[in-house]
Amino acid sequence: MQIIENSKVKEKVYVEKLENGLTVMIIPKKGVQKKYVIWGTNYGSNDSKFIVPGEEQETEVPKGVAHFLEHKMFEQENGVNSLDALTALGVEANAYTTNDHTAYLFECTENFYPALDELMDYVQNPYFTDENVEKEKGIIGQEIMMYDDYPDWRVYLNTLEAMYHEHPVKLDITGTIETISKIDKDVLYKCYNTFYNPSNMAMVVCGDFEPEQLLEEIKKRLIPKEANGEIKRIYPEEKADIVKDKVEQAMDVSQPLFTIGIKDKVADTKERVRKHIAVEILLNMIIGKSSKLYKELYEDALLFVTPSLDYEFARGYAHILITGQSPEPEKVYEKFKQRVAEMKNSSIDSKEFNRIKKRIYGGYVKEYNDTADIARMFLADFFKEINSFDYLEEMTTINEQYVEQVLKEVFDDKKMIISVIKKA
Amino acid sequence: MRYKEKEIKKGIKIHEIQTNKFKTNLIAVFLSMPITKENVTKNSLLLAVLRRGSKNMPTQEQMSQEMEEMYGASFDCGLDKTGDNHILKFYLESINDSFIPQPDENMLKTSIDKLLEIIFNPLVENDSFKEEYVKQEKENVKRIIEGKPDNKARYAFDRCIEEMYKDKPYGLYKYGYIEDLEQITAQELYNYYKDMISKCKIDIFVSGDINQSTSIVEQNEDIQKLQEREPNYKVNRVESKEVVQENEVIEEMDVTQGKLTIGLDLHLENEEQKYDTILYNAILGGTANSKMFQEVREKASLAYTASSSYVRYKSNIFIKCGIEIKNYEKAMEIIRKQLEDMKNGVFTDEDIENAKKGIISGIKAIDDEQDTEITYFFGQELTDTKTSLDEYMEKIQNVTKENIIKVANSVTVNTVYFLKDNSSAKEEN
Repeated sequence: MQIIENSKVKEKVYVEKLENGLTVMIIPKKGVQKKYVIWGTNYGSNDSKFIVPGEEQETEVPKGVAHFLEHKMFEQENGVNSLDALTALGVEANAYTTNDHTAYLFECTENFYPALDELMDYVQNPYFTDENVEKEKGIIGQEIMMYDDYPDWRVYLNTLEAMYHEHPVKLDITGTIETISKIDKDVLYKCYNTFYNPSNMAMVVCGDFEPEQLLEEIKKRLIPKEANGEIKRIYPEEKADIVKDKVEQAMDVSQPLFTIGIKDKVADTKERVRKHIAVEILLNMIIGKSSKLYKELYEDALLFVTPSLDYEFARGYAHILITGQSPEPEKVYEKFKQRVAEMKNSSIDSKEFNRIKKRIYGGYVKEYNDTADIARMFLADFFKEINSFDYLEEMTTINEQYVEQVLKEVFDDKKMIISVIKKA
Repeated sequence: MRYKEKEIKKGIKIHEIQTNKFKTNLIAVFLSMPITKENVTKNSLLLAVLRRGSKNMPTQEQMSQEMEEMYGASFDCGLDKTGDNHILKFYLESINDSFIPQPDENMLKTSIDKLLEIIFNPLVENDSFKEEYVKQEKENVKRIIEGKPDNKARYAFDRCIEEMYKDKPYGLYKYGYIEDLEQITAQELYNYYKDMISKCKIDIFVSGDINQSTSIVEQNEDIQKLQEREPNYKVNRVESKEVVQENEVIEEMDVTQGKLTIGLDLHLENEEQKYDTILYNAILGGTANSKMFQEVREKASLAYTASSSYVRYKSNIFIKCGIEIKNYEKAMEIIRKQLEDMKNGVFTDEDIENAKKGIISGIKAIDDEQDTEITYFFGQELTDTKTSLDEYMEKIQNVTKENIIKVANSVTVNTVYFLKDNSSAKEEN
């Protein structure tokens, strides 16, 4: 196995790409009880139009299939529900779907190998029937309705709708009650066979393991399958500009919620990590806890806690999200834009820059405390073609000049929108 | 892992958790006192004011900048209602020296001193808290209190507790009340602070690859100034409960999904039954194998969330479901059937074994998370028990089916709370 070591956090990752195309990453953690395994496919809610390897014509499926599949994978032909079987082993099992990947996981202290048997068995053996697909529509329907009641989910989706014309990132991961009604077992099998091929998947394990030995155990549990060819994913052409600069919805909230979105273009693979770090530094300098702007907004009772600052990116999209609660989101937005303009017209304050860098560096180190956090991070980054250690390494290469350049390129007034959930 | 505790003055304890599993050191300080209507709002405001600035870090900006210089040390604080106690919690997490590019700094001492300063050496002007901060933080606390209905599932849970504990300490809202908030002045709040800090129980936890943390705390000037005290907190023990008439409360709000919370009373006889109850709860609604998850979600397809949680300090179990509004009666019927089945022992030895595995796995993982481990030891402190993790596992292992059935038969439904949407009443007509 290839070994990548990081001296800063004193951790190692063992990587192996198997013959069938599956990538396995193992991060050993001596002396820790918790073991965490996560098995993901490079397939999320955005992938609803594609060409199956070996076929000519495009396939388009209803929105929400990736998430529907995630729900249905647990059901086995012999009537066993694998989630129950895993719970019965005393392990905590779960699964989730994002815009760009789907993952199945469990965490345990005991029974790792019996649980690995179950995990690898159910992910490799789908069982869909007309009946079990119909039943799931009720449960997912409840899940969709639950999310409808979350103002923070609504403010997020509305932000994406205001930024994106065509890209499917703007659609709800679950699909809608209407789109899921069109899902049947044939659609599920087709997507399963396309995207759950080992060559489109990766497994990450973190815990107290002997990596080579664990790799053998994983190999033993793989059913023979050949790597398939490249899956051509089709995303609609997305214009660089935004759809509208403002979107509002009324809900039963005590205080308006807002998200400021900035649409960005996707960076080259090599540049992604550096750009991500630079954006994080900038967001903290502009509106982070120690910033001039936050102090002002706090004292004017326009903000009460620091907004959450995020940079999201995957295939075909990248954007910044600044989310918070304020009695007057519009004012926050105005002041934010003013502050950005001011910063563009002056040079970066070195003292502040270095302090924020320290803070962000510390944040990266903290990610290595917990086996679950580590495994999830390595998997999510892998599907973005990133090795998580790169964040620690690239940090030192970020200078003021580069950050100034990113500020000018990314924080463009014409690419900004605000989404508000106002009081009903 | 090595745990030791030391009472440095009466009512003030240091708990040291030596572990090398983490990149960070975590310091936590808990101030405990009985929760009362009179003080709950003051505590809430006090917490907000303390985090605004201390004597040597008088502004939030400065505080944040100093934390950033310490490689992003994170300061956090919060309020908890634990049984009949109100707990003010303060945390500071910082990177351990060995992961800092220039490792000559003494990050642990700086971290301990900073956290203690925020709590015990606040910013004082003319023998009062800073007027401006108090005024601003009143607004802030007001917003938190007004924001209570924002999370509907949480709101349904809080409302259920309020209905069950009307006019009792545990029924109080931990962030306080707007009518009490308006009247508090900066001066009064400072006087309250001085009085409170001299009487409350103080627990200081330091977790990480730490040496000498006890002596660092002991030598801290802010700690040395504190007087010994007879802490007036409530030791959380199993108490007898009256059997009350079941109460149904239905309220309306703008929701698409109905939020159901059912508050159950447990009539336990002794402390040991808490372990039996942990198993009872796991089988009823604690896991994906539980009756709630299986019957309400999987078989009846009525809900996405269906679970139960055990509040051991008050001997209650709360069942929580998000359901379609029209399915209220149907869900209640299924849930009552599950409670009956538990009483009649309709669960297998396998169910028990599986539940035990899950719980024990959770106990084993306690020392893999710094905050979870601190919470565990603090829980021991508040119940005045000394159960090691090994003993805890053994007690779980020893629970029998008869024990669980006994708990099941002590269960009564206290309150059914249902939050539904404003228009559904019309539709039904």
